[in-house]
Amino acid sequence: MENYLIAMGVSAGIYALMALGLNVIWGMAGLVNLGLVGFFAVGAYTSALLTTKLGLPILLGVVAGAGMGALVGVLVALITARLRGDYLAIVTLGFAEALRVIASNEVWLTNGTDGISGIPGPFRADLGPVGFNLFFLILVAALVTAVFFAFERLSYSPFGRVLRAIRDDDQVAAVAGKWVIAYKVQAFAIGCAALGLAGALYGHYTSYIAPEIFVPLLTLYIKLSLLAGGVGNNRGAVIGAVLVVAFLESTRFIIPLLPGLSAVQGAALREIIVSGALIVLLRFRTQGLVPEAHSHPLIPRQPGAAAKESPTHA
Amino acid sequence: MTGSTPLLPRRTALLAGMTALAAPAVSRAQGTSAGAPLRLGILTPLTGAGGFDGPRMLKAMQAVGEEINAAGGLLGRRIEFAVEDDQTNPEGAVRAARKLIDVDKVPVIMGTWASAVTAAVAPVCWESKTFLTTVSGADSITQLPHQGYLIRTQPNNHLQAGKHAEFIAGTGAKKVFVMSLQSPFAMPTQNRVREVLAQKGAQMTGALLYEKDKTSYRSEVDQALRTRPDLIYLNGYTPDVTILLRELYRAGFEGPRFAQSYSVTDKALESLPREVTEKVYTVQPSSDVDSPAFEAAKKRLGTGVDSYEAQATDWISLVALTIAKGREATGTALRENVRKIAQGEGTKVYTAVEGLRLLGEGKEINYEGASGPCDFTEIGDIVDCKFRYQIVENGAFRFLKVA
Amino acid sequence: MLSEIPQLLINGIMAGAILAVPAIGLTAIYAVLRFPNFSLASHATIGAFAGYVANTQLGFSVVPALFCAFLVAGLVGLLSDEFVLKPFRSAGFITTAIGSIALTIALENVVRFIFGNSLNGYDLPMQRDWRFGDLRIGPQQVENLAISVVVMAVVFAFLSFTRTGKAMRAVADNPSLADIKGIDAARIARIVSFAGMGLAGVGGMLIGLDTSIDPLTGFRAMLSVFAAAVVGGLGSIPGAVVGALTVGIGEELSLLFLSPSYRSVIGFLAILLVLILRPRGILGQRAY
Repeated sequence: MENYLIAMGVSAGIYALMALGLNVIWGMAGLVNLGLVGFFAVGAYTSALLTTKLGLPILLGVVAGAGMGALVGVLVALITARLRGDYLAIVTLGFAEALRVIASNEVWLTNGTDGISGIPGPFRADLGPVGFNLFFLILVAALVTAVFFAFERLSYSPFGRVLRAIRDDDQVAAVAGKWVIAYKVQAFAIGCAALGLAGALYGHYTSYIAPEIFVPLLTLYIKLSLLAGGVGNNRGAVIGAVLVVAFLESTRFIIPLLPGLSAVQGAALREIIVSGALIVLLRFRTQGLVPEAHSHPLIPRQPGAAAKESPTHA
Repeated sequence: MTGSTPLLPRRTALLAGMTALAAPAVSRAQGTSAGAPLRLGILTPLTGAGGFDGPRMLKAMQAVGEEINAAGGLLGRRIEFAVEDDQTNPEGAVRAARKLIDVDKVPVIMGTWASAVTAAVAPVCWESKTFLTTVSGADSITQLPHQGYLIRTQPNNHLQAGKHAEFIAGTGAKKVFVMSLQSPFAMPTQNRVREVLAQKGAQMTGALLYEKDKTSYRSEVDQALRTRPDLIYLNGYTPDVTILLRELYRAGFEGPRFAQSYSVTDKALESLPREVTEKVYTVQPSSDVDSPAFEAAKKRLGTGVDSYEAQATDWISLVALTIAKGREATGTALRENVRKIAQGEGTKVYTAVEGLRLLGEGKEINYEGASGPCDFTEIGDIVDCKFRYQIVENGAFRFLKVA
Repeated sequence: MLSEIPQLLINGIMAGAILAVPAIGLTAIYAVLRFPNFSLASHATIGAFAGYVANTQLGFSVVPALFCAFLVAGLVGLLSDEFVLKPFRSAGFITTAIGSIALTIALENVVRFIFGNSLNGYDLPMQRDWRFGDLRIGPQQVENLAISVVVMAVVFAFLSFTRTGKAMRAVADNPSLADIKGIDAARIARIVSFAGMGLAGVGGMLIGLDTSIDPLTGFRAMLSVFAAAVVGGLGSIPGAVVGALTVGIGEELSLLFLSPSYRSVIGFLAILLVLILRPRGILGQRAY
């Protein structure tokens, strides 16, 4: 049981990194990105290829994975800079799907649908399975903490304030003399670096990646995480990710208790519950469990304003 | 909530609640004692692209499980299945496998289907010393460093594509086209078919890879027909193969088509007009012509038995017999003992119940399954097997031969 | 190689015509409600299954079964919009779009819960294709093409000649002006949800007539349908038709120089190319 909880903790940590990345792009800069899983894939493949084919150290691979995530993020942001949000939604979704098809076809590089196995994990052999699991949890937790504090600083920096201004009204920001596109591209780059980092870690943890992993369902889970925690809020992103993994896993234990269901019906019901939860959450908690802090964390808000901003926050 | 006394009963209630919660865990921990059910893990696709095949495999395993339980169980214990959906997605499958291994403490996971799912789940299994049985056909699967914790009942590409090509050449086809679903088994199968056809005096006139999840394959069919083949080998799964069959009919292709039995099942025949499936050859791995194991599976399931149902039947039978042989339900014991009942000089047995009875009498056995003799190499591939060929005539299968 | 082009064009037009029907539904919903409704995929599946039940259980022939597909998918669309998606609109289009993704997964699994995963085929006679020299055309495809054309004609007639149709265009073009003119926008929203998802259902059944159906039927076509609507210009109904033909023909012509396993990238490339050149699609986003 402990081992299971630790493994789910690692999953939650990786989800949390992705949710933090999404929060910069969507929560802070207000840019739509339904192709999260594509940047996750870029990070995973970069690090896996560098460490398995070129034999680079894992640390270097992970850094390169995050870097490549950022680079592809910049490219996508530049190409789509002129697009409105609804087009951006479809283009980013299509981008992730296209990447998956390319990864399936370009066997010389990605090993195609066979995927890449035997991706090294840090100290995997020395620690044994249980030790490695625990070590990785600590590693992921440390990285989540580091990214969290970095993004918190970012959020309260002048840069973060400009991003939020762009999110709320990019024309006002432009009038105020801010070069809006540059800010948007940077937000994409920073967020996609976190997504790439998460992807690289995923590969080194499970030791295997394949195109089939990078499906839109994972994007939905991350959206769910951020929405559950609270869009625009880093703490919410982390809490949301933990809640989503806990919720996804707990449905496993509930479904078998229902009598008279075939296995397929049980599996269908599980997905209905998960998507239903997202709908309910969106409906009643559009601010998430932890609403965005509009002011500095150390300076309390005006009581009246707080009540107005977060009607659901008891 | 006045005073401190009400706290006491509350705390007691809380404690009682916690004990109740912990109870299943306790009984599971004592699971080795007689009487408690013996949990085995099943991880098949129930949603996603594999959703067609997972439920059939699951049913086949459950049917054998019930038969064993009715005959007195295994090591005096009832078999109970812990079933999870692998979602045909490696990420979800790994989480599900974790749950089976770490919470249900199963010694074996049976049923992964997609090669990517198997490759993702396999490391979790071998690191946790849990046995894994699969149908995934990618050659790379058995080459993983699985330390013996994996067997595959699906013949590898080299073996099966070679035999398929021999059969195809034997039908008199001289020009063959191969249409493969984009998947790990696509290229190795095409290469091997080309090689063996050439040896047999026939020729592969061309091959293509098509994408899954498309609603039409008209132009792909045109591409195939341009080479004027006598026979077309359709190497995919039910959703795409049924579309291809329809479009080949529409395009006026009169020649035979050749497909795996798991892609042209009884159910698929029902959903297609008869003229579309006329003269489709299907193939599946099998033991001898009059294999009692195959007949027993047919009787148990009440339908025709396709390749996946046959293999699922064999997994649970092999696992049950291995556990009985080693008198120990752990992944390591399964790894150590599976070859003691799957191959060798013992009495040939064809069902789990029959084998359990003989093992109970202290005899040596050799399980011969519904999908083949089930003899395994060091890396978990089957040593050799015959193939069962059928042809569809008038909307029903006619048995051709086992070779 | 060049000799293949006419056949590829024919196949592309056939595929595009079928894509056009759900793409019109998608774009009409977008024109009025201003969000990409991803639940189109499961509504197409629901339509396909409704038509299947009407055809195989109730013995309806194709056209009445298509009406059933339209009605059932439309009704589910109306209800799901009213009770699930409508409350999201105030929270912004992206929340609504994500809500529609969750909705589509939920509905897909409701279908799976009821019908299971197995493939189901309509009760239709199979016909060989007609041959004209080297070209082949399927009677079923021609019938589907005719149905699509009729459906499109009905949609255009509805928008041009009926009061409701004109009101719908007014709301799409300028909601506040339409409001001042006394058009009941909520009623228009309901009608467009019903008709849009009904068209998705018809599209799902048309795809099913050609193939077989299962809970993933709508999902398989989704990327192409979205590509069609975006390429033509989200919100433009003629654009959806142009976009569907572009994507349909583009996917087929790509086979000249790419492996078929690359097909679905074409839809994405078409989106990128068009959006870079014309950020609002080929025909822009005027509804009509």
